[in-house]
Amino acid sequence: MAIVEDTPRELTTGQPAVAERPLGVLTRPTSTEGWKSWLTTVDHKRIGILYGAAAIFFFVVGGIEALLIRLQLARPGATVLGADLYNQVFTMHGVTMIFLVAMPLGAAFANYLIPLQIGTRDVAFPRLNAFSFWCFLAGAIFINTSWFLGGAPDGGWFAYAPNTGVLFSPSNGMDFFAIGLQITGIASLLSAINLIVTVVNLRAPGMTWFRMPVFTWMMLVVQVLLLFAIPVITLALFLLMFDRLWGANFFNVEAGADPLLWEHLFWIFGHPEVYILILPAFGAVSEIIPVFSRKPIFGYKFMIFSGIAIGFMGWGVWAHHMFASGIGPISVAAFSVSTMFIAVPTGVKILNWMATMWGGRLRFTTPMLFAVGLVSMFTIGGLSGVTHSVAPADTQQTDTYYIVAHFHYVVFGGVILGLFGGMYFWWPKVFGYALDDRAGKWNFWLMLIGFNVTFGPMHLLGLQGMSRRIQTYSSGQGFDLWNMVATIGSFMIALSVLVFVGNILQSYRTRNRRPPVGPDPWDGRSLEWATASPTPVHNFDYVPVVESLDDFWHRKWGEDEDGNIVRLATAEQIAQTGERRDVHLPSPSYWPLVVAIGLPIIGYGLIFNYWLCMVGGAIVLGGVYAWIMEPTDDPDAAHGPDGHDDHHDGDGDGNGATTDESEAEELEAPVG
Amino acid sequence: MKSLAGSRGRLATLVATVMLSAAACGDKPLTTMDSAGEKAAQINDLALWVFAIAGVIFVLVQGMILYSSKRFRVKPPEDPDQERPGGYSDDEFPEQIHGNDVLEWGWTALPALILAVVAVFTVVVIFEQDDVQASGDPLVVEVVGQQWWWEFQYHLDGNTDTPPDIVTANELVMPVGVDIPLRVQSRDVIHSYWIPRLNGKRDAVPGRSHPWVLQANEPGRFMGQCTEFCGLSHAYMRMFTVALSQADYEAWVAEQLVDAEQLSEGDVGYEGQQLFIAQCAECHIIEGVTDRDGDPSNGVDSTDLYVGTAGVDERYTDSLTAGAAPNLTHFMSRETYAGSFFDLYDEDGNVNRAQLEAWVLNAPAEKPNRPDNLQGMRAFLNLTPDQLEQIVDYLETLQ
Repeated sequence: MAIVEDTPRELTTGQPAVAERPLGVLTRPTSTEGWKSWLTTVDHKRIGILYGAAAIFFFVVGGIEALLIRLQLARPGATVLGADLYNQVFTMHGVTMIFLVAMPLGAAFANYLIPLQIGTRDVAFPRLNAFSFWCFLAGAIFINTSWFLGGAPDGGWFAYAPNTGVLFSPSNGMDFFAIGLQITGIASLLSAINLIVTVVNLRAPGMTWFRMPVFTWMMLVVQVLLLFAIPVITLALFLLMFDRLWGANFFNVEAGADPLLWEHLFWIFGHPEVYILILPAFGAVSEIIPVFSRKPIFGYKFMIFSGIAIGFMGWGVWAHHMFASGIGPISVAAFSVSTMFIAVPTGVKILNWMATMWGGRLRFTTPMLFAVGLVSMFTIGGLSGVTHSVAPADTQQTDTYYIVAHFHYVVFGGVILGLFGGMYFWWPKVFGYALDDRAGKWNFWLMLIGFNVTFGPMHLLGLQGMSRRIQTYSSGQGFDLWNMVATIGSFMIALSVLVFVGNILQSYRTRNRRPPVGPDPWDGRSLEWATASPTPVHNFDYVPVVESLDDFWHRKWGEDEDGNIVRLATAEQIAQTGERRDVHLPSPSYWPLVVAIGLPIIGYGLIFNYWLCMVGGAIVLGGVYAWIMEPTDDPDAAHGPDGHDDHHDGDGDGNGATTDESEAEELEAPVG
Repeated sequence: MKSLAGSRGRLATLVATVMLSAAACGDKPLTTMDSAGEKAAQINDLALWVFAIAGVIFVLVQGMILYSSKRFRVKPPEDPDQERPGGYSDDEFPEQIHGNDVLEWGWTALPALILAVVAVFTVVVIFEQDDVQASGDPLVVEVVGQQWWWEFQYHLDGNTDTPPDIVTANELVMPVGVDIPLRVQSRDVIHSYWIPRLNGKRDAVPGRSHPWVLQANEPGRFMGQCTEFCGLSHAYMRMFTVALSQADYEAWVAEQLVDAEQLSEGDVGYEGQQLFIAQCAECHIIEGVTDRDGDPSNGVDSTDLYVGTAGVDERYTDSLTAGAAPNLTHFMSRETYAGSFFDLYDEDGNVNRAQLEAWVLNAPAEKPNRPDNLQGMRAFLNLTPDQLEQIVDYLETLQ
C-alpha cells in the first residue's frame, strides 16, 4: 500500500528504519503550509482543490469566449469579431470548456472524493496524481499561450482534416491544439490509471463493490472510459502533429488519405468523451438527491448497471456524429439504432432519480436545486439526442444550432448544473464552511433561466436552418430575434457566475461568524461525512470498516420494532475528529511539477525551435531521474513519536472486517 | 446578345417564383420545417412523429418533476436557530424505499420498446432516402465544394468520366418534379451541401464522391448554406437550388451550352473583355473567350480540372489554374455571386453595379478571404475606376 506504508524499511533496502537524510535537491520537501506547499503537495484533497480552482478559472475564460461569440451573433452582419478571430474564439471556447473545464472539474471531484468515499487516506500513486494535475495545467496554459504566439487554433475542437492541415490553417494554432491536448491527455490517462488502481485496491475493509457510493461507481466508469478513449485521441493528435510539423501524409488527400479517418478516430474518442463529462455529474446528483429526499437512492443496482451499460454502449455510437459524412446507409442504420438504445440506460437514471424524489421529504437547498435542475434539463438534452439518433432527421439537424442547443443541454444542463450542485454540496466538507444558501439560490435561478433563454431558442434557430460555426448571418434569414434573445440569456449566465464567485468570496469572509458546519452538515450517507470538516490531512484517524451501503447513515439511524426510524447516534458522536497526528502520509515532492514544466517546453520547441526541445527534454529526463531517485519518504515527516507509524492503538473490535486481509490488521477501528 | 431578351424574360419569371416561394416560407429561407421536395418531406414525416413522442415524454417527465417537487417539498424551519443538520428533525422520515424491480425493469423495457418502433421506421427511411427514381433524363450533376463557393458540373448524358457539358457556380438549376442524382465532392476541405427545404445535407469530402439526390415539387428558388466548417469564410459560403419547369429548364440548358462571344473592337464591353483576359482569366474561365476546351492560345488548358475531380487538384500546392474560380460564361444568368453571398440584381431587376465593382476591386474587403494563401479571390487595387466600369460592362454581356 502506497498510502499506509506499514512496511518496515529494512525489508526493501537493508538499511536501518530511519534512513540518513539525503543531501541537496533530492531531499523531499516537508512543508505542508504556505503557498509553496501547494506546488509540492501530493495530497489528493489539495490536488482536487487545485483541479477545481483551475477549472473555475478556465470556466471564466471559456465563458468570456462564449460571450464574445454571442456578441458577434447578437445581430446580423455584426463586426465584433472578424471571421479569423471568430474561428479562433469558437474553437477555443469548445476546447476550453471540454478539456479545461468539464474534464478537470470532474477530476477535482474524483480526486477529492473517491479516497474519502472508499475510506482510504490517499490515491494509490500520490506523486503521479500531482503530476497529472501539473501536466493538465501545463497543457492548458500551453494551449492558451497560442493567443499570444501567432493565433489560437482555428479548426474547431473537432479539428476535421484536412482543414487543420498547414495548407488550410497556416498559423501555429492547430500545432498548439495537437501538442497541448497530448499533454493534457497524459494527465487524464495517468489520473485514470491512478484512480482505477485506487478504487480496486484501496477500499476500506468491508467496502465491497456494491457498497460503494454511486458517485464513486460513476467515477470508476469514467476512469475506465478515459483509459481507453484518451489513447485514441492521442493517436489522432499525434498523426495530426506529424502531418503539420513534418509533412507526413496521414490526412493528405492528394497522397491518398481519406479524411474520414480523422472523423472516425476523433469520434471514437469523442463520443465516450461525452460520457466522461456527464457521468461525474450523474454521480454527484445521485448523492445529492437521496440526502435531500431523505430516502436512499431508488434502485441502487440499476443506477450502477445503467452507468456501466452507458460505459459500454458509449463505444458503439460514435458514427452518429457522421450521419451526413457519407459513410453509407448500412453504417448509418447500425449507428442510428445503437444510438437510440443508449437512451435506455440514461432514461433509467432519470426515472430512478425521480423515483428517489417520489414520496420523499424534499428540501430544496441549493445543491438540491442544481441536482433537480440537472434531471430536468438533461432530460431535454436527452430527448433532443433521440431526435438526432433518427438519422434522416439528423441530416437536417446536424451542424445546425439544433445540435448546439442539444449538447449545451447535455453539457451545461448536465455537467455544469450537476457539478455546481456538487460544489455547493461538498463545499463545507472541503473548506469547513458552507456557501451561502440564499446567494446560491440566486446563482441557481439566474443560471437556470439564463441557460434556457440562451440555449432554448437555439433549437428553433437550428430548425430554421441556422448553421453552426458561422461567424455571421444575414437579416432576412429569420435568425435575428432568437439570436438576440440567446445573447441576452448568455449575459444572465455570466451574471449567475458572478454571483457564484461573489458567494465564494462573501462566504469565505463571513465563515467565522456563522455556526460551524460540523462533520456532517446535510445528514449525509457516505463516508466523506464521517470525518471532520474540512477534511483532515490524513482523511481518517482510523480507517473505517464498512458493513453496508450508506454505512455512515446506518450508524446514525436504525429501526425500532415498529419499523420507525430512530436515531442511534449523532454525526458528531460517531464522526472522526481528525485529531490524530501520527499518521504516516506520503511526503511532498518537487518532481511532478518539474517534469510537467518540461513538457510544454518540448512543445514550444517542436513549434518554434528544436533546441528548446533539448531543454524541455533535459528537464523531463532530469525530473524523472530525480523522481525515481528521491527517497520514498522524507524520513522526518509526519511520524509518530517513535519515528515509525503505528496505527495499533485503536479499540480493536474490528468486527466484520474480514474482506481485505492486507489492511484489516491495521485498520481495526470502525467508525463507531 | 442574341438571347438577352429571352433570358430577361425568364429572369422575370424567376423573380416572380422567388417572391412566391419567399412568401410561402415567410422570411425563413433555410427552414427545415417546410419541405418543398419529396426527400425533405420523407424526413419531416418521420421527424414529426419523433418530435411528437419526445414532446409527450418531455411533458410527462417535466410534469412529474414539478409535481413531486411541489407535493413532497418540506419547508425549512423559519427560525434559523432551529436549523438542524440537513434541516430535518429526527422523526421526519418518509418510507425508506430502496427500489422496485417491477418498476425498474418496466421503465427499462418500455423506452426500449418505444425506441424499437422508432428504429424500424427510421431504418426504412434511411434506405428510402437512398433511392433515386429514374427519370427519362440521364442527367448527373457533380457538386464540387471549395473554399468558399460551389461548382456544379452537368453531365447531360450521365457519364461523369467525360468533361461536363455545363459548368456553373453557386446556383444549381434543375427541372422540377424528378429526382436529380448528385455526386457531392470537394476540391480542398470538407464542406457540406445542404438545401434544407429539399433534402438533408451531405458532406463534400475531398477524395470521395458521395451520391445525393434533390427533388423539388414546385418551381422555386431554394437557399442553402455550407454546413461543415470549412475555414475562414464558412459563414459566407451559401448556395441556391433553382427548380424550373421542364420547358424553362430545357431553355436554360440550351442557353448554357452556348459559348460566350469573342467581342471585337467597338463592341460594348470589348475593353472589359481585354482587361478580363489580362487580369481575371488566370482563374476564371469564360468559354469561347478563355477556353477550357484545350485552346492553348490563351494559355488555358484546364480540361483536366473537370475530369475525375474526386480528388484534390493541385492548385493549392502549385499555383492558381484557370477554372479554380467560378466559371463566368453565363454569369448574368445567375442571381448571386461570391458563394451566393451577394445579390447580382436589386429588387427592380437592375444589376447592382456598385457591389459588383467593390467585389472586383477588393474581394477580401467584402468577404473574408486569404488570397495570399490561395484561398479566395484576391484584390485588384491596381484597377482604375474606368477599368472597373469596363470590366463590369463586360460581365454584363455574359448573359
